[in-house]
Amino acid sequence: MFNLKFSMFSGTRDLEEKIDEMHDKIIESAMCFRQAFDIYFKEKRSLNYRRISKKMKNIEAAADDLRREIESKLYIHNLIPDLRADVLQMVENIDKVINEFDEVTHKFYIEQPDIPSQYQEKFGKLVREVSECAENMAIASRAFFRDFTTVRDYAKKVFLWERESDKTWAELKQEVFDSDMELAHKIQLNTLIGDVADVADKAEDCIDSVLIFTIKRDI
Amino acid sequence: MDLSYLFFLSSGLFLGWSLGANDAANIFGTAVGSKMVRFKLIAGVACIFVVLGSVFGGSGASATLGHLGSVNALSGAFMVALSAALAVYMMLRAGVTVSTSQAIVGAIIGWNLYAGKHTDIATLLQIVSTWTLCPLISGLVAVLLYMLSKRIQKCSSMHLLMRDQLTRIGLILTAAVGAYALGANNIANVVGVFIQSCPFKPVKFGNILTLNPTQVLFLLGSTAISVGILTYSHKVIKTVGNNLMRMSPMVALIIVLSQAAVLLLFSSVSLHNWLEASPLPTIPLVPVSSTQAVIGAVLGIGLIKGGRNINWGIIGKIVIGWITAPLMAMIICFISLFFLENVFNQTVYLVQ
Repeated sequence: MFNLKFSMFSGTRDLEEKIDEMHDKIIESAMCFRQAFDIYFKEKRSLNYRRISKKMKNIEAAADDLRREIESKLYIHNLIPDLRADVLQMVENIDKVINEFDEVTHKFYIEQPDIPSQYQEKFGKLVREVSECAENMAIASRAFFRDFTTVRDYAKKVFLWERESDKTWAELKQEVFDSDMELAHKIQLNTLIGDVADVADKAEDCIDSVLIFTIKRDI
Repeated sequence: MDLSYLFFLSSGLFLGWSLGANDAANIFGTAVGSKMVRFKLIAGVACIFVVLGSVFGGSGASATLGHLGSVNALSGAFMVALSAALAVYMMLRAGVTVSTSQAIVGAIIGWNLYAGKHTDIATLLQIVSTWTLCPLISGLVAVLLYMLSKRIQKCSSMHLLMRDQLTRIGLILTAAVGAYALGANNIANVVGVFIQSCPFKPVKFGNILTLNPTQVLFLLGSTAISVGILTYSHKVIKTVGNNLMRMSPMVALIIVLSQAAVLLLFSSVSLHNWLEASPLPTIPLVPVSSTQAVIGAVLGIGLIKGGRNINWGIIGKIVIGWITAPLMAMIICFISLFFLENVFNQTVYLVQ
């Protein structure tokens, strides 16, 4: 009886853990993203930055593996047939946010843009807002599996942080183009600022679908 | 045993097949439709419990049906069951789930009219009143269970996947209870009219179990129901499926549970006896329609959610089916009895 009970729920428990781990990966990547920029502002492309960029790559690779495992397990164990497509889309969206964190970190490593000191504070603010946005998205998305009301609460936070990041992005962009830097430098910074801000947009898209799935689940 | 009895019984078995094909969709249609449980597994469970319910709990409701019209000739009983089966089958072919209970009542009235027998109006009213009472009670039970589940859902922080797995187990268990209740309540529809002319002898299974002649008849009837479940119910589920209202697996579970509760309520002899001994009003032991119980439950939940998801077109079609099926069975029975008596020289009723 114990064995039967164990085997009946073991697949479910295993998948629960995998989904939780997937959410942990966003939080890890958001923290890593913040750390990466702290290092970059201080040391530019140093050994430390290389290490943190490598760490981000590992997180991204682990998230990819988790996504594949979750997808196959959902089908193998025929779990949540009515919500399977939604959960798969959620997992893919989460993976996209992690990919974006990794891409931006790597882009800074490759391009080594020169960020003048007067913009570093605002740049750091944008990075923090984007990270907050992604972290809150992870909490909301995790809550989808356990508690509806929390989804709404944290979704609100995601929207707020995304709006803040949009504001900071617009200000920073304006400041860059108002400066005396060379046009090529301005364009490079503008693209990179846009890439950082895009992470928040991706997190917002993800939470939009989570909210729709929550409404669907409540029906 | 006279072999002609088996020939005449074939119409009852055909009705049993129709009931299995039609009513199994009510017990586990939502579970299969929502892809929560595989058809083969749940159909197997349902077959076992339909047989158990029929053999061990089917006596109560069949007595009431006997009061409506005691079909006293074997060929008459054959035609009553055949008419009901044909009416159900025709409606099934038209893609409408109907009530076998209503069809058999219509056919018995057709027999009463043909034989010039008096239809016991009190019993008829009692049966007809349950046609209203059954969806009402089922709807009420469903609403209560739905509210309870919502509350539990709010209080507990169970993971979605774990809840899904428990719902799956719940769907299988309630399908078992629902199948037992269906067997207990509806076996009277299938072979109830053959009880009076039952020629079977008691069957002993070692020293453990002895089935009386009526139970042997019920065993045959329930086997026919099981064949209906296994051979045709999947098609009905595909036709009906989730058409009434989009529903989550949890709602599907509540609907099956409400239906099973109502069917048990109208067929449990022990509950009836207990109520009779107490000052509370008794619940008549009447074969009720599992289709009506399901529709009542779906409507109850649909209405409490604001009625947006209900497909009223399908509901209307089903309600029309409820009126058409007994009328059709009555007319088919009346005309067929005429042919059976005058063309095939069969005694369709005995003058007492």
